[in-house]
Amino acid sequence: MKLATKIAAVLIIGVALGLAATWFTVVRIVIPVGLRDGPWRTNLMVGNSGADLYTRARVAVHGLLALSRSETIYFTAAHDNDGEPLDAGCVYQVSGRDPDARWWSITAYGPDDFLIPNSAWRYSVSKTTVARTQDGSFSIQVGGRGSGSNWIPLAPERFSLTLRLYNPSELVALDPIDTVLPAIRKMGCP
Amino acid sequence: MKDRGQELVSWIGATLAIALLVHFATLYAIPRRIMARTLRGMGAPNTMHFGSRPTAASRGVMRPSPDMLYAACPFDLPAKPLRVTASVPHSTYWSISAFDDATNNFFVRNDRQVTGNSVELLVMRHGQPLPPLDKVTDRSIVFAPSSRGLILMRTVIDNEKNLPVLEAVVRQARCESVADKR
Repeated sequence: MKLATKIAAVLIIGVALGLAATWFTVVRIVIPVGLRDGPWRTNLMVGNSGADLYTRARVAVHGLLALSRSETIYFTAAHDNDGEPLDAGCVYQVSGRDPDARWWSITAYGPDDFLIPNSAWRYSVSKTTVARTQDGSFSIQVGGRGSGSNWIPLAPERFSLTLRLYNPSELVALDPIDTVLPAIRKMGCP
Repeated sequence: MKDRGQELVSWIGATLAIALLVHFATLYAIPRRIMARTLRGMGAPNTMHFGSRPTAASRGVMRPSPDMLYAACPFDLPAKPLRVTASVPHSTYWSISAFDDATNNFFVRNDRQVTGNSVELLVMRHGQPLPPLDKVTDRSIVFAPSSRGLILMRTVIDNEKNLPVLEAVVRQARCESVADKR
C-alpha cells in the first residue's frame, strides 16, 4: 500500500472513531452517567464553569441553559424503579411526597428531548398543580388513558422524565442522592 | 516481520491519536456551537425577546419547561455594557440568570434575593468603564466572562389563573445597550 493511501486511511478512520466516540458519549449516551437516586440521575456540575468537557457537551445537547446546583437540581429518569427502560406503551405510577424544594415539577420528554405532543396539551405535573391525598402524598399516572391533574399523557415512543427542584433545601443541595424522590413503577402495558 | 509489526503498531497509534484529537475537539466545540446557534436563533442581540409558553411545538431549546414563562436577551458586549431591568413577581418563583458563550451559568438571582419589586442588572466586561448610574432599588453589576452570551428570566406559572398577570409582569423586562439609552 502506498504511503499516501495509508495516511488517508489513518486520517479517515481516526476522524470516524473520534466522531463516533463523541456521538456515543454525548448524543446517544450509551452508558448512564451522573449520580443515582433510585431511578433518577443527576449531575451536580451542570451549569458550573468547573464542569468537565463531557458534562458541558451533554448539557448543551440535552438541556441547554440549565441552572447551577445552588438554584436548581435536575434529575432525569430513563428507567423505572426495577431498572427497566421507560416504555411509552406502558402505564407508570410516579408516587411519593413533595421533594424538599421551594417548587418542583415532573415533565415527560420524547426521544428528541422535546415535549411530547398530545391532544390534552399536558406535559407535566408540578408542586402547585398536583392533587394530593389526605396524608400529603401524591400519585401521578404517566401514559395510558387518564384525566385530572395527576396525569401526563405520552405518545408511542421512547420517553424520559425530568424532575426539577427549584430552590432545593440546603440539605438536598448538599446531598441530592440521599433525598427521597418519587418512585416510578410500571402498572402495566395494555 | 518484526519491522512490519512495529509499522502496524505505529499506524494504529497514529489512528488512535487522531481519534482522541477529534473526540476532544468536538467535545470542546459542541457547547460553543450550540450556544452560538441558539443566540442567533433568538433574534437581535441586546434586545429582550419574549417567548410564548413552551408546548410540543417549541423547538428552540431542548427540554423546555412547560410551566415557565421565559424572557431572553442574547447579549453582545463589544464595547458597551448592557442594562437589563425587570419587574419581579414575588408571588411565584422567578429568576434572572446569565450564561456565557460556553453555556456556563455565571450568575443567577431569584425573587427571594431581590428586595424590591424590580431589579436592574448591569452586564459588562472587565476593563469597561462603569457608565453613569441612576439610583435604583436593586442593582447587580455582573462581569461576563465572554462578550457574547445570554440573559434568561424564568417565571413559574404556579396557577393557570395567574397566567395573564404573570405574562404582563414578564413583558415589562427590558434589555438595552447603556450607550443607546443615554
